[in-house]
Amino acid sequence: MPQLRKDPVTKRWVIILHEQAKKPSDFQIVHPEKQSLKCPFCMGNEGSTPNEVMSYRAPDTLPNQPGWEVRVIPNKFPALQIEGDLDRTGIGVYDMMNGVGAHEVIIESPNHEDGFHNYSVEQIARIIRTYTDRYRDLRRDRRFRYILIFKNQGSAAGASLDHPHSQLIATPIIPKRAMEEVEGAKRYYYYKERCVFCDIIRQELSSGERIVHENEQFVAFAPFASRFPFETWIAPKEHRDSFGDIESGEVEALASIMQSTLRKLITTLDNPPFNYIIHTSPCDEHCTDYFHWHLEIMPRLTKVAGFEWGSGFYINPVAPEQAAKYLIAGK
Amino acid sequence: MPQLRKDPVLKQWVIISPERGKRPSDFKRQQIVEEDHSNCPFCEGNEHMTPPETLAFRTAGTAPNHKGWWVRVVPDSSPILKPEGDSGREGIGMFDAMNSIGIHEMVIESPHHQNNICNSTFEQVREIIWAYKQRLIEIKKNPRYKHFMIVKNSGFGASSMSHSHSHIVATPIIPKRIEEEIEGAREYYHYHDRCLFCDIVKQESKDGTRVVHESDDFIVFCPFASRFPFEMEITPKFHMPFFEMIENEQVFGFATALQTALRKMEALLPSQPYNFVLHTSPCSDSYRDFYHWHIELIPKLTKIAGFEWGSGFYINPTPPEDAAELLREAKA
Repeated sequence: MPQLRKDPVTKRWVIILHEQAKKPSDFQIVHPEKQSLKCPFCMGNEGSTPNEVMSYRAPDTLPNQPGWEVRVIPNKFPALQIEGDLDRTGIGVYDMMNGVGAHEVIIESPNHEDGFHNYSVEQIARIIRTYTDRYRDLRRDRRFRYILIFKNQGSAAGASLDHPHSQLIATPIIPKRAMEEVEGAKRYYYYKERCVFCDIIRQELSSGERIVHENEQFVAFAPFASRFPFETWIAPKEHRDSFGDIESGEVEALASIMQSTLRKLITTLDNPPFNYIIHTSPCDEHCTDYFHWHLEIMPRLTKVAGFEWGSGFYINPVAPEQAAKYLIAGK
Repeated sequence: MPQLRKDPVLKQWVIISPERGKRPSDFKRQQIVEEDHSNCPFCEGNEHMTPPETLAFRTAGTAPNHKGWWVRVVPDSSPILKPEGDSGREGIGMFDAMNSIGIHEMVIESPHHQNNICNSTFEQVREIIWAYKQRLIEIKKNPRYKHFMIVKNSGFGASSMSHSHSHIVATPIIPKRIEEEIEGAREYYHYHDRCLFCDIVKQESKDGTRVVHESDDFIVFCPFASRFPFEMEITPKFHMPFFEMIENEQVFGFATALQTALRKMEALLPSQPYNFVLHTSPCSDSYRDFYHWHIELIPKLTKIAGFEWGSGFYINPTPPEDAAELLREAKA
């Protein structure tokens, strides 16, 4: 019997198919051909990108020159633009404002062939430090309400360039999904005076059946109402509301759990396209008791069809308990 | 300058970025694969390959589950929701779960493999709409189902499924997306004492820049905060919460609007896969003043990247005014 499950935060229902459960090998992944053009993100091609915002580089090297390990540049085709005012207006029943925001690209490595399949913990830690540096800087701009850090890996997941990179978008509104999460978490907090994510983590750790990996500070698990096969979340075990406030002592632990979790996904599913997204609290909701930042990883294995679009009601052919088992066994 | 726009129903913001303005030819087309469909369970003569029909419009004198029909409705052979069993609602610690009870049927839109809503006769489109209506009225009699949807996925993979069909799905819960629409519409109604959808239709009809097609009783337009390029909405201009309330003369207007929208899309984006979803009020009467049924029609052109998934904040490279202009000019 398939089962319906409800995400306690967003109230989203999901269908879990037990009988038709799919194995990792049931998903065929088409690997597109390698891009042959000169890659603007490769070391030595710094001149073909906009000027860097920041970089981690060898002490005696100059900005926009080789010698960097992680490099941040403005997106050449930004979805939102940094200059200008919001000019909020209404037209009859409709509301609008200007697309003011920041859109940056984090080039994760100077080497084109690198990725989470071979990153060292040190390199991942540098990437995380870059995320937090940019987060803290942009959070000071009062026009921005939310900062979204995400990665699209593979063209099926929306990546337009092969070179390993992630992106950051600072938005003047709180995006819908983030707003739902925050509202769901608040409602739970007002009712129970506990953080919903702390409760989820506690229950997951005690039941254990959906845990993929853990270390002292972080846990990786397949959420109870996973929308997608092999969806995996990484969250700090202690209550932490904002990703921007991650402490230096936590960066290594996060890098280590990201390395092992993403490697497991990559080997188990034969290098799948995936997205990961950092869910954090809105910029002006600091130090709250109700929100808890986490990283959501979504391998892109299924096509979302009309039913899912129209209903927001997802059909997931792999039970998360089963997904966790496969991932635990993965290297 | 890109623009942020807010969907008044869902409170969902969308980025409209005309600088990236994409034209239909900028999107790669899917390759059309020639296939063998002699074993298609939806073709006339293969009625035995599907579960027994729940409804068919057929020539007088022909027997159920045999030739002689022009629209046929059958249960899905591998349904995502099943009619048998209890709802089985339970709590597991802090989590909630229930059995996946429901109805999942397929509406076979023609006995002929190559026919679809675009190339069928107008009369055939009306018959399909009658079939939707009749099944919904029947399914609604079971109080276990809180909501139903009609969904069409056109142009996706599996060869047997290339036979034109749509799905009717009845669920024991109100799906999230519908819940959001209801909340948005209810809030507006409580403030203005008017139906939000009626107000949108009036404003679109008056403004005209996003209108694709309009008749006395139906309007097809590209929504102000379209999430996707060439997204369209088909809405009745009169207030009607439940789709199954549609009457004879309205079926005429709806069939025209639906076929026109799909033909214009086909002219502009040949063989493009698309989805349409019919949103109608949940079964309870309590939404009747502020909910208003409509169809969302979405050509599958863009890939949804991590940003959209994580934020529910869509980036649409084709402003709806440009899309509407191209669609208005396209031949129906």
